Amino acid sequence: MELLIKNGAVYDPINGIKGDKTDISIKNGKIVDKVSSRALVIDAGGRLIMPGGVDAHSHIAGAKVNVGRVMRPEDTRAGIIPRTKITRPYTGYTVPNVYAIGYRYAQMGYTTVFEAAQAIMKARHTHEELEEIPIIDKGALTLFGSNWPTMDYVREKDMDKLAAYVAWGLLASRGFGIKAVNPGGGEMWGFGKNVSGLDDVVPNFDVTPAQIIVSLMKVNEMLGLPHSVHLHCNNLGKPGNYKTTLASMELAKQVKPSKDRQVMHVTHLTFNSWGGTNWGDFESKADEIANFLNNSENVTTDMGQLIFGSATTMTADGPVQYANAKLLHAKWGNGDVELEDASGVVPIFYVKQISIHAIMWAMGLELALLTKDPYKVLLTTDHPNGGPFVNYPEVIALLMSNKKRQEEIKTLNEAVHKRTRIPGIERELDFNDIAIMTRAGSAKVLGLLDTKGHLGAGADADIAIYDIKPDQIDPSVEHAKIKSAFSSAAYTIKGGEVVVKDGQIVATPAGRTFWVDASVPDQHTDIMMKDIRMKFKNYYSINLANYMVEDAYVTHPNVVRAGVIPVTAR
Amino acid sequence: MQTVTLKPRMEIMISVEAENISPDRFAGRTEKEIQSLEVWMGNRRTTIGELFSVKVEGEGGSAAADTEIIMEGDFSRVKRIGEGMTAGSIMIKGNVDMHLGAKMSGGKITVAGNADSWAGREMKGGEIIIEGDAGYYLGSGYRGETCGMRGGKITVLGNALDFVGEHMCGGEIVVKGNAGLLPGLSNNGGKIIIGGSTSRPGSEMAKGTIIINGAVDEMMPVYRQEGTEVVDGVTYRKYTGDVVVNGKGLLYVK
Repeated sequence: MELLIKNGAVYDPINGIKGDKTDISIKNGKIVDKVSSRALVIDAGGRLIMPGGVDAHSHIAGAKVNVGRVMRPEDTRAGIIPRTKITRPYTGYTVPNVYAIGYRYAQMGYTTVFEAAQAIMKARHTHEELEEIPIIDKGALTLFGSNWPTMDYVREKDMDKLAAYVAWGLLASRGFGIKAVNPGGGEMWGFGKNVSGLDDVVPNFDVTPAQIIVSLMKVNEMLGLPHSVHLHCNNLGKPGNYKTTLASMELAKQVKPSKDRQVMHVTHLTFNSWGGTNWGDFESKADEIANFLNNSENVTTDMGQLIFGSATTMTADGPVQYANAKLLHAKWGNGDVELEDASGVVPIFYVKQISIHAIMWAMGLELALLTKDPYKVLLTTDHPNGGPFVNYPEVIALLMSNKKRQEEIKTLNEAVHKRTRIPGIERELDFNDIAIMTRAGSAKVLGLLDTKGHLGAGADADIAIYDIKPDQIDPSVEHAKIKSAFSSAAYTIKGGEVVVKDGQIVATPAGRTFWVDASVPDQHTDIMMKDIRMKFKNYYSINLANYMVEDAYVTHPNVVRAGVIPVTAR
Repeated sequence: MQTVTLKPRMEIMISVEAENISPDRFAGRTEKEIQSLEVWMGNRRTTIGELFSVKVEGEGGSAAADTEIIMEGDFSRVKRIGEGMTAGSIMIKGNVDMHLGAKMSGGKITVAGNADSWAGREMKGGEIIIEGDAGYYLGSGYRGETCGMRGGKITVLGNALDFVGEHMCGGEIVVKGNAGLLPGLSNNGGKIIIGGSTSRPGSEMAKGTIIINGAVDEMMPVYRQEGTEVVDGVTYRKYTGDVVVNGKGLLYVK
């Protein structure tokens, strides 16, 4: 199967192409240098072409997503589209069903999405859902930040055992990388407590969040994992937490990257760039975070942009969700994952006239606009915490048009003028910046640049064509056109197959699940497993044999090799 | 004014989803066009014309406000009549199934018989008059919804079953007869007037008013007694609560 896309205005930041007319040749699902004359031709007619979108942080599958669905039957009713000959039914807005997740991402031109948090113990559930999400490639980051074995090995300063545990945990969960959510705090929530800073000692374990973060970063680089440590900071959801965020990012200086990427990805900054000391003097400190990013090389972030309207917050950060539910008098879902973590789910409705929500709206945008290098701030809404992912086109339009931002600011609580800097920021991003924040940058942050996020030979043939001609549009003025074009791709091509045409799903191939098989010396695994067996015998409610994700759960795997043993020696 | 008259062609045994029976959908349409509008009967897609005889009289233009729907016969398996309607009127000379006038924002629905559960669910405006009895969850929010009825008025001349006005945020519900358990459960605004008796009113009420003219079989122990007050010339015992949720709801009991 060969395909040739002609006459497109291509934005491919990794290969330095900025809107040039470049032909793209596709053979057997990969991008190649040229194809034969028998290739099927798509004439893009001068329209915008980008690599397929890559989302490095979204909550699309697993136990907490399903708790959100169960808790919110009213949300399910919000997005119903009946089945057709090609598609299965869509339901939901903030917590869509599995089919709608795949279809809606593909309709926006996205082809790769990573679930940002799975507990090992709940990973079977995650993979059952991932396998049912059509079209897109995906993967899941595994929670390691509050696991008992992690904290034991950090206290013992035994990096070999910790590396063995991480490698085994990735295998057990078929996970892609290390996620840490409120490290230490998740475990303390099991006792109704929390940690309040990086140097708080976690009782019973005698370690601090800072030690956990640094150890996980060291192990991440020992193992040479494709992605870095993916951190949800401590104190999230508390006014004044930007100081904790800055201190956490400072820790990245202690570790050298093993690859051409960051050593720490700090996620959804809309929820942890908060200044002030209480809800009364709450303000944005996104400028301080951006300032840090502009002067450092080892840290990347994502926006977690707030979208006004309905959202469902869901996180492994159990204590913050208890606080949210109390504050909002909202429904509260609480979960305990035995020796690993906690979790919570709370619905929320973001309102333009509530000062805190208006300030949070500004934070994501400030971060993206004040940080000079777009590779350091990815575009996300922390779906569905800041808002559902279907609003990415709205965020793109806001970033590309100061006019749109000013129009929006007029409708917001006046606090946005006094406690944020967004009204005075005139910067407007261009298509190249957007391509970085939604594709090239995300692929680089995830460590997937060999096959994702660009259009050079050898990459997966994941391509989006949008119905705008970059040389004939002024995004600053015609922001409505930008939003509608990014909402509904003219073509989405996934692995060389046209899956969306004119915004409609035309094919639904199964996507692959990426996971990392990291090798460590057998003797390290053997000693580590003695501890793990003891934990199962004494504490877990289930058996080790019922714990691991088996191959039957991941029927479309894409295994990425890593580990302390060089690949060539294996 | 355009008048559309619907009569069942048969005894309807399987439930019908008929959100297309609404002045907004019928306005400006010919008999034939109305007959071809879609309805679902069980899991089968069918049309209004197949289930009902349709007669159109008069010219109404394209405005829902100039459209009157008269339904004669037994509609006790026909759901969602008048869903989302904004204007015009529906007169039903018989019984109706669930979700009558759900999410309506204007116009008027009159039922000469009984209406099943969820009548006026999440309605925003307009008026519903039920001359017989109403089922459960009159003027409530459907599963998961935090705001039920937000505006408009519902009058029931007969009795209503449990959970009248659950999660109600605005508007007014009048039940002339008795109401079942827990009227005004978790409500956050609006006014409920019950002519007859009820039990456990206003549990988890954060805001709103409930007036009960009959007997209260059981009071929730979460209300603070505040003496008496005269409302519309009648003296009531006044309560505030629900104190468990720091509620500012008003509960008047005769």
